[in-house]
Amino acid sequence: MKYLFPRQPWDRALVAILVALFSGFCIFTPGFYDGFHGTLAITEEFLPFGFVALGLSVVILTGGIDLSVGSISGLAAVIMAILIKSYGLNTWLAVLLAIGAGGGLGWLNGQIITRLRVEPLIATLSTNFIYSSIAIALAGASPPYGFGPAFGELGTGALAGWVPVQLVIFIVLAIGFSGLITRTGYGRRLVMIGYNRDAAHYAGVSVASVERRAYCISGIMAAFAGIVLASYYDAVRADMGDILLLTSITMVVLGGISIFGGEGGILGVTLAVMILGVLRQGMLIAGFSDMVTTMLIGAILLSSIAIKNLFSSRGFDLGSIIRRLSSLRPPERMAPRS
Amino acid sequence: MNSAATATSEPGHRAKPRPRRRELREVTLLVATFVVVLGVGALRPSFMSFSNIEFMVLSSVVLGLVGISQTFVIITRGIDLSVSAVLGLSAMVFGLLSTTSSMPLWQVLPLCMAMGAVLGCLNGFLVAWLKIPPIIATLGTYSLYGGLTFIYSNGLQVDQVSPDFAAFGNGNLIPFLPVPTPVLALIAVATAAWFVLNHMKFGRNILAIGNNAAAAYNAGISVRRTLLAVYTISGALAAFAGLVFVAYTGSATATTGTGDHVELQSIAIALIGGTAIAGGRGNLAGTVIGSVFLSVVITALVFLQVPAIWYSAGEGLMILAAVTLGARRSSNP
Repeated sequence: MKYLFPRQPWDRALVAILVALFSGFCIFTPGFYDGFHGTLAITEEFLPFGFVALGLSVVILTGGIDLSVGSISGLAAVIMAILIKSYGLNTWLAVLLAIGAGGGLGWLNGQIITRLRVEPLIATLSTNFIYSSIAIALAGASPPYGFGPAFGELGTGALAGWVPVQLVIFIVLAIGFSGLITRTGYGRRLVMIGYNRDAAHYAGVSVASVERRAYCISGIMAAFAGIVLASYYDAVRADMGDILLLTSITMVVLGGISIFGGEGGILGVTLAVMILGVLRQGMLIAGFSDMVTTMLIGAILLSSIAIKNLFSSRGFDLGSIIRRLSSLRPPERMAPRS
Repeated sequence: MNSAATATSEPGHRAKPRPRRRELREVTLLVATFVVVLGVGALRPSFMSFSNIEFMVLSSVVLGLVGISQTFVIITRGIDLSVSAVLGLSAMVFGLLSTTSSMPLWQVLPLCMAMGAVLGCLNGFLVAWLKIPPIIATLGTYSLYGGLTFIYSNGLQVDQVSPDFAAFGNGNLIPFLPVPTPVLALIAVATAAWFVLNHMKFGRNILAIGNNAAAAYNAGISVRRTLLAVYTISGALAAFAGLVFVAYTGSATATTGTGDHVELQSIAIALIGGTAIAGGRGNLAGTVIGSVFLSVVITALVFLQVPAIWYSAGEGLMILAAVTLGARRSSNP
C-alpha cells in the first residue's frame, strides 16, 4: 500500500487537489455527478488535451518547447479527412498516414531547431502559423464531416459499455511514456539534456538527434489528439487544435515537469490532466463561459510555475520559503538556457 | 540552445573581427521595400498611387509601435506575446469609452498608457520576480488579457469613434504639413526610444542585461527593476498602439490584435530589423523600417490577390529567415 501512493510531495499535493476538486464539484455543482458511467464519460471531453500533454512532456523535459502542437493536430485531422473523403482511402489507413504526417511535421520542427539552430520557441511559433495556414488552405470553405460510426468509436466509444476507449488509450500511453522516460536509455538522455545540456554533450550524448526525436514524438501525439477530436465531433475544422496549446502546457507544468527541463515525471502530468480536465468540465457544467475557463487556466499556469520556482528542490519548510521570498539573489538565466 | 554545439564545432569563427553589419540591415530593408513597391507597382499601377502609399505608411504605424516595444523586450533575451492582447484590450476599452463618454483625447491618452503600463507591469513581475520564462509568462497573460477583452466587450464592438479620435487617427497635427498625426507619433516614439537605448544609462543597462544578466547583476545593475521597467514600457506602448489603431480605423472587435496575430508580426518586425533573438543587440531604425516593409509586403499580397490565410504563414517564414540569416552572419549566436 505504501508504494501505491505517490512519494513525491508535489504528486501528493496533486492527488489532494484532485480529490478535493472532484468532491467539491460533485457536491456543489448539480449535474456534474451523473452516475458512475456518466462521470467516467466526462473524461472523453478533455483527454485530447492529455494526449498532447504527454507528447509535450517529452519536449519540455529537454528544456525546449513546442508551440505548434495546436496547428499540427488541426493539420493532421484535415489531412485525414481529405484522405478519406477525396481519395476514398480506408479510414484506419488514413488515420495512420495522418499520424505519420504529424510525426513528419514535428520532425521538421526538430530539423529547424537543430540544423538551422533556431531557438525552439521562435521556430515552433513560426511553424505554428505556417502549419495552420496550410491547414486552413487544405480544409477549404466547407470542412468535411461524417466519417462513419466505426471511426466515431475512437472518440466516443466505450469498452464493455462503460470504460471510454479514450481513457483506455490514455492509460496505456501514459504507462508507455512513463516507461520511456524512466526505463529506457533514450528517456534518461532526454532528462540529462534538460538537466545539463553541456554535460550531456560532453558525456557523448548526441543532443541534436535526441531533440529531433523528441519533437517528432510531440508531433505524433498532437496529430493523434487531432484525430481523436475529429472522431469525437465527427467533423474536422482547421482551427480545431487552437484551444489545445495553453491547457496542455499548463497540464505539463502543473504536473511538476520543470519548464527549464530535466525534472519531473509522467505520474504528475497524468494527475494534472485529470485535475485540469475536471476543473474545465466542472466549470463549463456550472455555467462559466469558455473564456473565463481559459483565463483561469492561464492563471493556474503562471501560479504553478511561480510556486515551483519558489520551492524548487529546497523543501517545503517555512524557513526556505521566507529565504526564497526575501532573497536578492541574481536571476540565473532569464530564458530557458538557449 | 546550442551553445555547446556551436562552441565546439566552429572554433575558428570567433577570432575574426565582426564585420560592420548593423548599417547594412537598414539599407537591405530599404532596398527590399523599394523593390517590392516598384515590382508590384509595375504589375498593378494603383499600388503606386498616393492614397495607397499613404495607407501603407499609416498602417505601418501600429506595427511600428508594437515592434518598438517588442524590440526592447527581445533585447533583454525575453519575448512578449501579450502585446496583441494588450493592444486589443486598449482598442476595445478606449474605443467604447470615446463614444459612451465625451472624454477628450488628452485625458484618454495618459489613462490608456497607464492601463497598458499596469498590464505590462504584471508581465514584468512574473518574469523578474517569479522567474517564469518570458514566453510562458506572456502566453499566460495573453489568455488573461484576451479573456478580459471578451468579458469587457460583452458582445459589443466599436464601429465609430468620437470626432476627436478620428481627427487624431487621420488628421494632420501641423497644418500645411501633409503628415498624418500617427506618423508623427511613431517618429516621436522611435526617436525617444532610440535616445533611451543609446544615450541613457537605462538603455545601456537593458543591453547589458541582454548580453549577460549575471554579469550585469555583478556590475551593480538592478536586473529585476530594469526588466520590470522594460515590460511596463512594452505594455504602455502596446496600449498606445491600440489607441492609435482604434482612432485610425474607427473600429475594434473582441479579436482585434489577437486575431491578426500582432504578436507574431511584432516579433517578425523586430527580428527582420536586425534585433538579435539571443538578446543584447537591438536596432530601432531597423524596427521602424521593418514595420514599413511588413506593411508594404502585406498590402502587396492583397494587391496580388493572395488569400489572407497565407499572411501569417508568410510572417512565420520571415521570422525563420531573419533568425537563420542573422545566426549565419554573427559568429556568436
